[in-house]
Amino acid sequence: MSAFSGRRFRILAWSISCIALLGILAWAYRRYVLMHPDPTIAWVRYGITYELLNPKMLGVILIAPWFVGVLSQSLADLPLPQKILSVFLRVAFVVLLGLGLSRLARTATTEKVCTVYLVDVSDSIADEAIADARALVDHAWAEKPKDGIVKLITFARRPRLAEPNEKEPEKAPTIERHADAKGERGELGAGTNLQAALQLAYGLYPSGYLKRAVLLSDGVQTDGDFLAEANRAKDFGIRLFTVPYRRPAPPEVAVRDLRLPDHVKVGETFEVHADIYASRATTAKAKLYQSEALNGLEGIKDLTLKAGSNDVVFKSVVRVKGATTYKLDLEQIAQDRFPENNRYATTVDVPGRPVVLYIEGTPQHGQPLSSALTAQQIDVDMRPPAGFPGSLKELQRYDFVVLSDTPKEAVSIEAQDLIEQYVRDLGGGFLFAGGESGYGLGGWYHTPMERMLPVRMDNERKKEMPSVAMSVVIDRSGSMTGLPLEMAKAAARATVGVLSSDDLVEVIAFDSTPTRYVKMQPARNRSRISAEIARIQPGGGTEIFPALDAAYQDMTVTQARKKHVILLTDGRAPSGGIRDLVSAMIAESITVTTVGLGGDLDEQLLKMIADVGGGRFHAVSDPTNLPRVFTKETEMIARAAAVEEWFPVTQVGDAAFLRGLDIRTAPNLHGYVSTKMKPTPAQELLTSDSQEPILARWRVGLGWALAWTSDVKSQWAVEWLRWAGWEKFWGQLVHEHMRQKHTRELDMKAEVVGGQLHVAVDAFGADERFENNLTSSLKIIGPEFKSDELDEAKDAKNVKQVALRQTAPGRYEATLALDKYGSFLLRAEHKHEDKDGLLRPVAVSYGHVSNPYPREYASFEPDLVTLEKAAIVTGGAVDPPTVAAVFDPQGEKVTFHEELWPRFIYAAIAVFLLDLLVRRVRLFDRKFIPRGGPRSRAPRAA
Amino acid sequence: MHFTGVPLQTLIQIGALAGAAIVVFYILKLRRRPVAVPFSKIWQKILRDKEATSLFSQLKRLLSLLLQLALLALLLLALGDPRTAANLIEGRNIVVLIDGSASMKATDVGPSRIESARERVRAMVRGLSGSDRMLIAQMDAAVTPLSTLTGEISELEAGVAAVKASDASADFARSLRFAADTLRGLPSPEIIVVSDGALSEAADAAGPVHLGEIKLSYVPVGMRAKNAAITGFSVRRYPLDKSRYEVMLEVTNTSDEAMDVELSLIGDGQLTDLSRLRLNPHEKLPRFYPNLSGASKTLEAKIALGDGTRDDLPADDRAYALLPERRRARVQVVTTGNMFLEAALLLDEYLDVTTVDPAKYPAKGAYDVTIFDGVTPSVAAGSGSLLYLNPTGTNVPFEVGALIDDEVGFDELDAKSPLLRYTALSDVNIARAHLLKGEKDDKIVARSFKGPLLIQGRRAGVKFVALGFDVRESDFPLRIAWPLFLLNTINEFVEEDVGYISSFRTGTVWSIPASSASESATLELPDGSKRSVPIKDGRAVFLGQEAGFYKISTGTPQPGAAEDVTMFAANLADPEESAIAPHPKLEVDGRAAGDVGELKIGVRREMWVYLLLAVLLVTMLEWLTFHRRVTV
Repeated sequence: MSAFSGRRFRILAWSISCIALLGILAWAYRRYVLMHPDPTIAWVRYGITYELLNPKMLGVILIAPWFVGVLSQSLADLPLPQKILSVFLRVAFVVLLGLGLSRLARTATTEKVCTVYLVDVSDSIADEAIADARALVDHAWAEKPKDGIVKLITFARRPRLAEPNEKEPEKAPTIERHADAKGERGELGAGTNLQAALQLAYGLYPSGYLKRAVLLSDGVQTDGDFLAEANRAKDFGIRLFTVPYRRPAPPEVAVRDLRLPDHVKVGETFEVHADIYASRATTAKAKLYQSEALNGLEGIKDLTLKAGSNDVVFKSVVRVKGATTYKLDLEQIAQDRFPENNRYATTVDVPGRPVVLYIEGTPQHGQPLSSALTAQQIDVDMRPPAGFPGSLKELQRYDFVVLSDTPKEAVSIEAQDLIEQYVRDLGGGFLFAGGESGYGLGGWYHTPMERMLPVRMDNERKKEMPSVAMSVVIDRSGSMTGLPLEMAKAAARATVGVLSSDDLVEVIAFDSTPTRYVKMQPARNRSRISAEIARIQPGGGTEIFPALDAAYQDMTVTQARKKHVILLTDGRAPSGGIRDLVSAMIAESITVTTVGLGGDLDEQLLKMIADVGGGRFHAVSDPTNLPRVFTKETEMIARAAAVEEWFPVTQVGDAAFLRGLDIRTAPNLHGYVSTKMKPTPAQELLTSDSQEPILARWRVGLGWALAWTSDVKSQWAVEWLRWAGWEKFWGQLVHEHMRQKHTRELDMKAEVVGGQLHVAVDAFGADERFENNLTSSLKIIGPEFKSDELDEAKDAKNVKQVALRQTAPGRYEATLALDKYGSFLLRAEHKHEDKDGLLRPVAVSYGHVSNPYPREYASFEPDLVTLEKAAIVTGGAVDPPTVAAVFDPQGEKVTFHEELWPRFIYAAIAVFLLDLLVRRVRLFDRKFIPRGGPRSRAPRAA
Repeated sequence: MHFTGVPLQTLIQIGALAGAAIVVFYILKLRRRPVAVPFSKIWQKILRDKEATSLFSQLKRLLSLLLQLALLALLLLALGDPRTAANLIEGRNIVVLIDGSASMKATDVGPSRIESARERVRAMVRGLSGSDRMLIAQMDAAVTPLSTLTGEISELEAGVAAVKASDASADFARSLRFAADTLRGLPSPEIIVVSDGALSEAADAAGPVHLGEIKLSYVPVGMRAKNAAITGFSVRRYPLDKSRYEVMLEVTNTSDEAMDVELSLIGDGQLTDLSRLRLNPHEKLPRFYPNLSGASKTLEAKIALGDGTRDDLPADDRAYALLPERRRARVQVVTTGNMFLEAALLLDEYLDVTTVDPAKYPAKGAYDVTIFDGVTPSVAAGSGSLLYLNPTGTNVPFEVGALIDDEVGFDELDAKSPLLRYTALSDVNIARAHLLKGEKDDKIVARSFKGPLLIQGRRAGVKFVALGFDVRESDFPLRIAWPLFLLNTINEFVEEDVGYISSFRTGTVWSIPASSASESATLELPDGSKRSVPIKDGRAVFLGQEAGFYKISTGTPQPGAAEDVTMFAANLADPEESAIAPHPKLEVDGRAAGDVGELKIGVRREMWVYLLLAVLLVTMLEWLTFHRRVTV
C-alpha cells in the first residue's frame, strides 16, 4: 500500500514539477518573446550586437518538460545521476536547436567592396569617350581586389544592367549604345537619366559589402535630378566617384532657341532671334518658315557660325491674326552629328487685326485713309459723326479712334468725354485730323478735345481776339430798291449766321454817304443784328470811297486775326482814291472782296479793288443768289485759320513708327489748320515750312493723343495719297499708338523642366490684393496646330485642357507632362463666380513654351559642377586616380549579420554524441554497490 | 539540390567521424548491473526468455542505432543548408513595389495600411518557391530598392521591414520604369504593386509606361475612406504692404459622408483662429484670412473631426507654413543729393538707408544694395548688388551710349520683369537719356525705340540694374511707378520677393535659396535629425518627403558670427493623396493588373529549419522509446 502511495506520490510530484517547469517556460516565452515589442530581440555584449532574428522559434524549448516527464516512467537501466545527466544533455540539445532555429546572429564588420560602374552611352557622348569608358571599365575588372565585386550599368534614357559574357565571366561586359531587341537604336539614346541609373544601382549591392559607384558621364541630364539623388545615395551608404568625359564635343550645330517678341501685332515688322550653338566654327544655311511658307521678309540666310553661341536675326511680319508657328531649319551644315537639333519651332499668338474707328465729317471723302489702313491689315469702321458709339464699352472694341474734319457741333460733349476716358483710362490711341471743320475751324477751341490734344488751336497772344472781323458794306442806292436790297439784307443776315459767335461783324449801308446800321460787334447778337439790318432803307447815289473808308477806320481799331470787308454794289461810282485806300487796308491785313449785282457795273473798278484787296470779285446777275455768295465768302474768310498753300513737310521729332519712312520724299501738302505746339512733353514730329505743327503727339493717361493738322482726304493731302509711303505711314502710326490690351491679362509664367510643363499665374486685383477663388482653366494647344483649331479647340486632338489649381493667395498653378516635341501655345481663362452663381470671365493669360527636341541634343558641354558636387556630397571624388582608390574602404566598415545557427548545430551534434555516450556507457555506480534498502521494483535486465 | 552552408565534403567527414562514434557506442555493451535473484527457477525463466527475445532485442538495438544515425544525418543535412537547384529551374523574377505614399499611413485597416502591406508582402516572401527571385522596392516620390533581386528570405524580410510611409505622393511611372529596368532581359518577369491604388497615371514626360511582356499584379490595401484633409495651406505677403499677409487654407472632405470639422490656426504656438465647418461629401472648401499682421513666424493649421473621433488619415490633418521675418535691407546711396530718390527710399520702413557723398564712398560696413546716382566710382567690396541711375562714366559693367537729346519714352517694356511689377511706364516722358548696352546675357528690361534704357545683369555673381537717365529729367519720379521700381529692384536684389511661397510641396526636389558661397548646407528635418545637402547655383537641392518645419544653415560659422539659419515649411497639400478611397483595380497601359496567385504562405524555402524540426521530433520519439525500452 505504501509502495502504491509512494508511486502515486512520485507520479504526482513528477507531474507537478513537469507542469511547473512547462508553466515557467511558457510564461518566460510569452513574457520575453511573444510580448516583445520588436519582431527580433537584440542585445549588446562587449560591443557586439547579438540578435535573434526569429525569436518565436525559441518556442521549441517548451518541449523540454517532455524529456523530464518521460524520465519519470523510465525503464532504462541507468544510474540516477547518469539519467539526470542524460536529461540535462537532452534538454541542452533541444535548447541548442532552439537557438539555432531562432537564428541567433551577431553583427560583424567587413571591408569588402562592391562597385557599380555607371556608364553614360547617350547620344551626346562621343564615340571616343565611350571607348575611354570601355578601357576604364576593363581596367577595373582586371584590377579589382579578389573579394571585391564589380557590376556595370549603361544608361541613356533608361539604365540597363550589363551582364558579363557567359563564356568569359571574368571579363567586363561590353559597353554598347542602347538598342532594342531588333538592334535598332531609335530614341533609346535620346536622353540622359543619371538619377534612374543610380536608383537601379541601389538594388545591385549585396549585403555585407561597402557600396561604391563610379559614374562616367558628361553630367548633362535630361530627366530627373541627379544632385538630389546623389544626396539620397549618401543615405544608402554609397560613395560616388565621378569621371567626366573629357573628349571634345563632336562637331555639332544646334538651334537652342527661337525668340519672338512677347507681343506681335498684325502687320508690324519685328525681329526673330535664333540662338544657334556650334561646337566649332562652321557654315550652314538657315531657313525660317512662317507657318508652312518661307518667311516673307527674310526666309533664307547663309550663316557663318563661330564656335559657341550665335545670335541670328530675321525680320518678319505677320499678316493674319491667330497662332503663327515659326520654324527654323538648318541645312547644309558643314559638320554636324545630330539632325534632331537642327530644327526649332516656336509659336506666337498674334491677336486679331486692330480695329480703327474712323469718324469722318464728310464720309464720302473718307476712302483714302480707310483704304490705306485696310491695306496695312487694320480693320476700319468708318462712321459719320452721328454714328459715334454711345458707351465706353462699345468704344472699347476699338484699338484706335480717328476723328477727322468734324465740326464740334457734330460731336456731343458726352462723346468727347468718352474719347478722353478711352484714351486716358483704357490706353486707347486717338488721332484728331484737320480739314475745313477741324481744329479752330470746327469750333474746337476751348473744348475737352483741345485739352487732350498736344496742340493749341490758337496762339496765346491772340487769345482774347476773335478770329474774324467782317465788315459788310452794302449799296442802298436807289437802284437797289426792292428785291435787290431785300436780298442784300438777307445776304448780310446769312453772313452773320455763318460767323461764329465770337467773330465781329458790322454792316455799313451806303448811298452817297455811309451809315453804320450795325456797329462792330460780336456775331452772337444775331437777333439784334438782324433787326438792325432790317432797318436799312434805300437811299440816293453811290459813293464807294467813303463807305470803304468807314469800314477801314472801323477795322483799324478792331482786333481780329482776320479782317475782311465785303463790298456789294450795283452801279458805278467815282474811283478816285480807292486804290490807295485799298492798298492801305491790305497793308493792315484787311482784305476786301467785291460783289457786283446786275449788268450795269464798273466791273473794272470792282475787280481792281478785289485784286488789290486780296479778295475775290463776284459778279451776280440774280439778286437771289446774293445770300449764297455771301455765305460762301464768309466761310472762306472764317476758315482763314486754314493755311491753304503748297508746302513741304519736315520731320523734327523722332518716333518708332517713322522708321523706314523718309519724310523728305513725301510730296507737299496743300493746306493745314494753323495751331501751336503745347509745351513738353508734347512732341512735335512733323512741321510745316512756317514751323507750325503738322503732326504732334503726347501721352494722355495710358494712351496716346495725336494731332494731324492737315486733312486725310483728297483736298489738302491730295498729293500724299499718291505717295508711296502713305499707307505705311498711317499703318505704322496706328500700330504704334493703338490700345495694347483688350482684356485684363494676368501674368503667366510657363517653363518646361524635365519634360514637365509648369504653369503659374499670379492674380492681383485692382487694389493689389490677391484675387482668390477664380476658376481657371488652361488650354495647351499643340504641337503643330493650325490656327483655326484655336477657336474650335475643344475637340481638336492636340488640345489639352487642365484646371489651374489655386495653391496660394492669388496664385494658380498646374503641372503636367509634355510628351510631345514641338511648340505649344498656352491660353488660360480665369472666371469668377458672380452673385447669381454664374461664372463670368474676368481675365485671360497667354503664354507659349517650346519643347523642340530631346534635350539630349541641346547641350554638348559637360556639367562639371554637378558631377563634382554629386561626388563630394557622397564623400567620393572626381577622377579617382586608380582602381584601388575606388576599392579602398577608406577606414569604412560595413556591418552585416553573421548568422550563428550552424554553430549551434555543431554544438548540438557534440551534445548529441555526449548524450549517447552517457546513455551507452555506465559512468556511475560501476561497482554496483547496493543502495540501502531493497528496491521496490527490480529493473528488468537488458 | 545543392548545399549553400557547410560543403558536402566537410559534412561527409564530420558524418563519418560522428557516425563511427555512434556505432562504437552501440558496439560497446552497456555493462550490466548484477542482480541477485533469489530463486533459481526464476533465473531459468529469465535465461529462457533471453533466448527467445535475443533476436528481437538485436532488432531493437539496430533500430536504436538507425534512429541515432538518422538524427545525425538530419543534423548534418541541416548544417549543409540544402537548397533546391535554383540554377537548373528558371524561376520567376519579381519586383514588389510597395506604396509608401502618405495615404498608406491611413489607419482604416489596423494598425495601418503600410503595416498591412508589409504583412502581405511578408507572406509573399515566405511563399517564394525555390527558384524565384524578388526585389522589394518602396515607391514614394522616388523609388527606393530595399533589397537586391534575390531569393534570400532574410534579405527580403529585412527589406520589407524597412518600408516606411512618407508624406509624399507616389511617383508611379518612375517606379514602374525602375521595375521594368530591373526586370529587363530576365525570365518570367513580374511586377507586384502593393498599394491602396491612389496612384497617379502611369505616364511621365517620356509618355505612358509600356510594360511589354512583364506580368503585372496588384494587391489592394485598405477598406474605406473616412478622411478630412488640409489640402492647401500657404501664406503670402501683400505686394505693396509687406507688413500684412494673407493666409489660404483649403479643407477637403474626401469621403462619401458629410463631416463637421474643427479648424484651428496656430501662430507661433498660439491659437489665433478656431472655426467649425460643415463639409459635404467630396466638398473642397477654400478659406482665406486676409489682412493679417503681426509677428507670427510659424503658422500651423489643424483639423479635427467635430464629433471627437479621428479620421482614417491623420497625416493630412496638419499643415505648416512659414512667414519669413522681413530682413532689413542695408542700402547705400551714393549721391550728391536727389530728393526723389531719398524720398522714395523712405517709403519702405524695412530699408536701412545710408547716404554717402560720392567723395566719401565707400561708407563703412557691408551693404546689400548700393545705388549710384549719377556717379560711377570703382565698386568697393561690400557694396552688394548695384543700381546705377544715370551712369555716365566708363567705370561700369556695361557700355554707356551717346546722349539722346530728344524726347524719349519706354517704347518696349518687359512686362514680365519683376522690376516692373505693378508699374505702368509706357507713358513716362524722358527729356534726355543715355542708351545702355549690356553683354549678351544681360536682360533689357525697357527700351525706347532708339535703344535700351533699363538693363539688368550679373557680373561675377554681383547683380546690377542700370537706368540710363537722370530721373529728374523725366516725369518718372512724379509717378507711383518710381518708388515701386526702386523697391522692386531692391527686392529683386535681396530676393525678398512677393513670389515667395510659404511652403514647399513634399515629394518634389526642393531648391532652397542658400548662400552661394557655401558648398553645402546643413538641413534639420522636422524630426530633428540633421543632414548635409549640396548647394548648386545658390540653391540647396533636396528631395523632401516629410511635412513640417525645416531649418537650413549654411557655411561654417565664423568665430563670433552667427550662422545663417533660415526656416521653411513643407506640406503634402495634395488632394489626390488625401482621397484615400482604396481602388480595387489597377490599370496600366490599358491592361488591368491581375491578382497575385501563386505566392501563398507555403513551405519555407530554408530546409534546414525543417530538418531541425524533424530532429526535434525524432529526438522526442527516441527519448520516449529509449526510456520505455522500445529501443535500446
